[in-house]
Amino acid sequence: MLFQILLILFAVFAIWRTIGQYKKQKVTVRWTAIWLVVWIGLIVVAMIPQQTDILANVLGIETGAAMFTYAAIVILSYGMYRLLIRAEKHHRELTELVRKIAIMEAEKN
Amino acid sequence: MKTVAIIPAYNEGPRIKNAINDIKPHVDAVIVVDDCSDDDTYIAARDQGVHVLRHIVNRGQGAALQTGTDYALNNLGAEIIVHFDADGQMVGEEARGLIDLIEKDEADIVLGSRFLGRTIEMPLKRYFTLKLALLFTIIVSGLYLTDTHNGYRALSKKAANALRISLDRSAHASEILDLIKVKKLRHKEHPVTIRYTQDTLKKGQSFSSSFTIVKDLVRNKFFG
Repeated sequence: MLFQILLILFAVFAIWRTIGQYKKQKVTVRWTAIWLVVWIGLIVVAMIPQQTDILANVLGIETGAAMFTYAAIVILSYGMYRLLIRAEKHHRELTELVRKIAIMEAEKN
Repeated sequence: MKTVAIIPAYNEGPRIKNAINDIKPHVDAVIVVDDCSDDDTYIAARDQGVHVLRHIVNRGQGAALQTGTDYALNNLGAEIIVHFDADGQMVGEEARGLIDLIEKDEADIVLGSRFLGRTIEMPLKRYFTLKLALLFTIIVSGLYLTDTHNGYRALSKKAANALRISLDRSAHASEILDLIKVKKLRHKEHPVTIRYTQDTLKKGQSFSSSFTIVKDLVRNKFFG
């Protein structure tokens, strides 16, 4: 019960921060919408955990908590993969930019 | 044929002048690419009256070589490119042997080999690291060579255009070998001398940096 309350409080705090960042135009609409769905989903799960067990059983997993843990691992792994790809892309773009500047400066001299 | 030497340099202030003067008599032009050194590498190179480019952010030896290659091909009309190290490990006059093979059209790329040539004061640990690299190259690139991490190379214009280095740091040496196979370039090895000093030993491939090279190559294959 205490854990559920803490989870709900954390989700409310996260929603408040997410909206705050959107208002300051630090994040996009898409990003805000995705994370609002996540945090609201977390509140729903915290309020009716038994319902998640039903869904978990359909998927062949024993409990809702286990289902969310497995899902979180998969989603985080994929997210990290996408981040690495983007980081590689930025790394290459930075090198191209540095190269272009080096050649332009040499051509000036 | 117009030959251009590319010397990638990072913090080689005390050594760059000798490296430039060593290779300069044997090529038509020299390009030094200063990879954002903290010391006076750029000024020391510029004072030798050669082409000097400067990276404003450190990107690695591979990136510096590619910058030099782009400049050599597009601005200087290079027909043969020679990769030459800034640290004094290589012997300038040996470039002639590599260049000759390109001029005679016997290869698109000529790779220097210290094991066909000679090494001076090479430490045993370095010997084993390089031999391990040979095994790695056979597995990853499928090339049978005697020296897979030698920065002394000569490339024809065709090879220089085909080999676009994307791995900026130490793994570029392995990437070049990979690309030789992929682009089906004619390659040959030629004996060269590599001299080891206390200074150069600190900068060369250590056993631990081998893992960084492997990591970069694997990352390039999956995420590149």
